[in-house]
Amino acid sequence: MKWKKEDLNQYVQAKEYIDTVIIPLIPFQFTDEQNIEKNAFQSEVLSILTNEIEKELTGRVMLIPNYYYIKSSDLDDESTILRGWTEEIKKQPFKHVFFLTFDSGWKKREGKLDGTLLWLPGVKSGDLHSAEMHTVIKDQVEQIGELIRSYW
Amino acid sequence: MSEKKQQVTRRQFLNYTLTGVGGFMAAGMLIPMLRMAVDPVLQESGAGDMVNVGLSVDDITDEPQRVDWNVEQVDGWHESEVNQTAWVFTDENGDIQAFSPICTHLGCFVSWEGSDDHPNEFFCPCHDGRYYKDGTNVPGTPPLAPLDVYEHEVRDGMLFLGQAKSRGEA
Repeated sequence: MKWKKEDLNQYVQAKEYIDTVIIPLIPFQFTDEQNIEKNAFQSEVLSILTNEIEKELTGRVMLIPNYYYIKSSDLDDESTILRGWTEEIKKQPFKHVFFLTFDSGWKKREGKLDGTLLWLPGVKSGDLHSAEMHTVIKDQVEQIGELIRSYW
Repeated sequence: MSEKKQQVTRRQFLNYTLTGVGGFMAAGMLIPMLRMAVDPVLQESGAGDMVNVGLSVDDITDEPQRVDWNVEQVDGWHESEVNQTAWVFTDENGDIQAFSPICTHLGCFVSWEGSDDHPNEFFCPCHDGRYYKDGTNVPGTPPLAPLDVYEHEVRDGMLFLGQAKSRGEA
């Protein structure tokens, strides 16, 4: 389910079944021109990826709006803000929180997050619409889905 | 003399006009009703939205296989290609079956033999919903309705699928 009117209508009626939250963590920046394309591309891929995971597991997963932050900002500060997010989320009976990101900086601060961090290495460039990218994303979705299911 | 010249009497003329006008009025009322009654028939004959899913009929076995295809969809703000999936197999009578993989509980993706504990069944990973091979929900698991069925058609040995239809509660 997503943060959308129709989905939330269904959520309110069936919330005991939806116990998992996914928060995509996406950096954004204009300072470093060399990496600007890479960052934008990873943001696109992560959005597609989380959408696909949500599609497979709609009935038990709530996809939260993306969390964007400035790439150069201090991730310790960001994790404080994120704790606020998780606190807000826990006002509903959610049991599992997953953070999905391509930004390796989060890996070191995993302990500061109230939830499970899934750092995905890899995808730096390529063509989003190519057949290879489709298979890569499909495989990723399958594996992440399996991982999430192992927590249930 | 004058009687013979007058081929249509006043009474006849009035009768004709009244029947004519009355007939038109009745037809005006009846035709829309008739159209509505036969509309489903008309629509089915024009099943132009069946899509070739790229699967030859010879390749369909009694083991459900996943078939993916794309459909163009205009959705309010954007026009997009929507990915659709079906589980296709032949049942014990040799008839082709195409089931929608969308769990009737809360919409997760259902897989054939998705769990090792429940062979020969469709399995929903979200809340352990199960369906028998004919698509009916296993009583006691969360789903309350059988899997939707796609309309299908075979043209030139290729499988064409249309809309997924709900089978209602069972």
